[in-house]
Amino acid sequence: MSFTKRLIRWWPCLALAAAPAFAATSDVEQLTKDPKNWAMQSGNLANHRYSELKQITSKNAKNLQVAWTFSTGVLRGHEGGPLVVGDTMYIHSPFPNKVFAISLEDQSIRWKYEPKQDATVIPVMCCDTVNRGVAYANGKIFLQQADTTLVALDAKTGAELWKVKVGDPKLGETTTNTPHVFKDKVLTGISGGEFGVRGRVTAHDMNTGKILWKAYSTGPDNELMVDPAKTMTWTDGKMAPVGPNSSLKTWQGDQWKLGGGTTWGWYSYDPATNLVYYGTGNPSTWNPRQRPGDNKWSMTIFARDLDTGMAKWVYQMTPHDEWDYDGVNEMILADIKVKGQPRKALVHFDRNGFGYTMDRVTGELLVAEKFDPKVNWATHVDMKSGRPQVVAKYSTDKNGPDFNSKGICPSALGTKDQQPASYSRKTGLFYVPTNHVCMDYEPFQIEYTAGQPYVGSTLSMYAAPNSHGGLGNFIAWDAGTGKIVWSKPEKFSVWSGALSTAGDVVFYGTLEGYLKAVDNNGKELWKFKTPSGIIGNVHTWEYKGKQYIGVLSGIGGWAGIGLAAGLTKGTEGLGAVGGYKDLAKYTELGGVLTVFALPDR
Amino acid sequence: MNRLTKKAVLTAACTLAALSGLLPGAALAADAAPYKVADGHKVDAQTLSGWKTWRAMACERCHGAAQEGMVGPSLVNSLKVLSKDEFKATVLKGRIEKGMPNFDSSKMVSENIDNLYAYLKGRSDGAIEPGRLQEIGK
Repeated sequence: MSFTKRLIRWWPCLALAAAPAFAATSDVEQLTKDPKNWAMQSGNLANHRYSELKQITSKNAKNLQVAWTFSTGVLRGHEGGPLVVGDTMYIHSPFPNKVFAISLEDQSIRWKYEPKQDATVIPVMCCDTVNRGVAYANGKIFLQQADTTLVALDAKTGAELWKVKVGDPKLGETTTNTPHVFKDKVLTGISGGEFGVRGRVTAHDMNTGKILWKAYSTGPDNELMVDPAKTMTWTDGKMAPVGPNSSLKTWQGDQWKLGGGTTWGWYSYDPATNLVYYGTGNPSTWNPRQRPGDNKWSMTIFARDLDTGMAKWVYQMTPHDEWDYDGVNEMILADIKVKGQPRKALVHFDRNGFGYTMDRVTGELLVAEKFDPKVNWATHVDMKSGRPQVVAKYSTDKNGPDFNSKGICPSALGTKDQQPASYSRKTGLFYVPTNHVCMDYEPFQIEYTAGQPYVGSTLSMYAAPNSHGGLGNFIAWDAGTGKIVWSKPEKFSVWSGALSTAGDVVFYGTLEGYLKAVDNNGKELWKFKTPSGIIGNVHTWEYKGKQYIGVLSGIGGWAGIGLAAGLTKGTEGLGAVGGYKDLAKYTELGGVLTVFALPDR
Repeated sequence: MNRLTKKAVLTAACTLAALSGLLPGAALAADAAPYKVADGHKVDAQTLSGWKTWRAMACERCHGAAQEGMVGPSLVNSLKVLSKDEFKATVLKGRIEKGMPNFDSSKMVSENIDNLYAYLKGRSDGAIEPGRLQEIGK
């Protein structure tokens, strides 16, 4: 039975059983069950990015044409995408984080909101001021501004209802993630892994913004919100309690205070277990010699009880990171067969190049396989210990500071960064936008100064050698076996969130600016060149009997940042974006939403 | 920094200032480059510290690994236009609205601002190669 079907079946019982407690719950879960809406950034609580709409099919997708467009008036990287609830669309922009409510009837602007933010936040977001979109629930729009202010707006008028600040940009703390509305709470995270920020997640009262719980990624047990005896982790082939000081004992001295483990990804929530799932980012600094130990719980999948915040289970994917393989990517919840057995699974495509399938209820490790054959920093994940088996010559810790470790795959961008994958409830497969990029990595000693960059490594990135020469692939993945089903090469990284549909069409955008439609076998059906490179996510909705596809273009973000002046001169592989210099031949900055539909007959 | 060191640094700075006062026009002379370089990638200790400062502050994230410009401007070009004082003011006070941070809170930058200038001037002049450097004679 599919996840949604099961939910629908149990919904009345749940509602009945918990009626009094549900008084304050949100309507967003119900809204996501109507495919006419696109009410959450990822389409539903489980991060599926799948739509039951099927007016657009693999047969007619070739006829798609532009229905309307809308400029955000903002340059730089446009991540995330538009929400659609009923007859209204809500669009956001990167800094200054404008929000527009647009009438689907005539595309008029119902209201516009532009927060006043201190410009000092821009340099701290070096080098791009992305935002991954707004959230909706109970007549409110939630915006997580760059300056760490979480604000609730009246969805009808755009009036501010409440605001709360979750960080301090002077310490390098900023925010780029979408707020996540689960049940009666709004959850948000923090960015700044390159500034020595200590990651955490806060849960807020949807109606007041009041902080209900706050759980750190590193530090003492009470601040981690773990129970040494009850919080479980994969240990020696089975689940076992994490024990006391599970984080503190994996750091030297007070380094955990600058520990990183930031939380800027895509969270998910399973109402059946009341667990919320998210990942934590890299430990600070990028020079691994300065932080001996496993650096828990950076690079970790957390499963927490939504109401109490207490961690039920944790799993660290990359102990003692030496490559910047943040673990923040989307957590997709799917009920699939794993090695023949039906499982309530959590599927996660990590920056480190392994696709993980976990039992989302217990936290057991089920599958960990490379989703790009070029991944070389580890031979495999040992299924008993759950630890990646690191290849010595790619260990930037073993090689030490001021040594350039060459040919590491993937690069720090990861085999996949935040660009979220899609899970088709129809095919049971995952459609994954990926990077096909390797790197040289030279760490060096660095001192911490509050609010200053705390990186400590020089990187060069380039297309994976001895392959197709491109910087990306769009793949289909079987999470039950850990195998690539098909792989479609792309010239540049696919930095756009995918969408799969019941019409057997899968959509994604490219850095050159194409929105592409492929069938379930990866065959390209259609493409359209939007005004700028696409790092936004593809969304779909229905209005007055017509299915629409929408995507934000607007190049930027980490991969696209090299686009501004000068990169065409080329630096022969030097620098973080050396491999991307060709992008300037294809596209320029500028945020535009492009909406597509089939022509009227 | 203890008082003695502070005094020594101050004295050194005053001596330098006095020296440059004694030698008007020295800065204009072609041979008065603020850096020493050999084989493109070997530099004097001060310039090496300048490069290390550049690296530690992750300046390449905006200005590019070869100072060629990305989100931030090309410093190869900027250092042909900016006076040394303008350069220092830009780095220490920032150009916030454009996204350039103020680095005056960084001890490393404050102490190495002249060295940073020397390194970037060398890059702008084309005398120093992009990438890793080492000290002359080491």
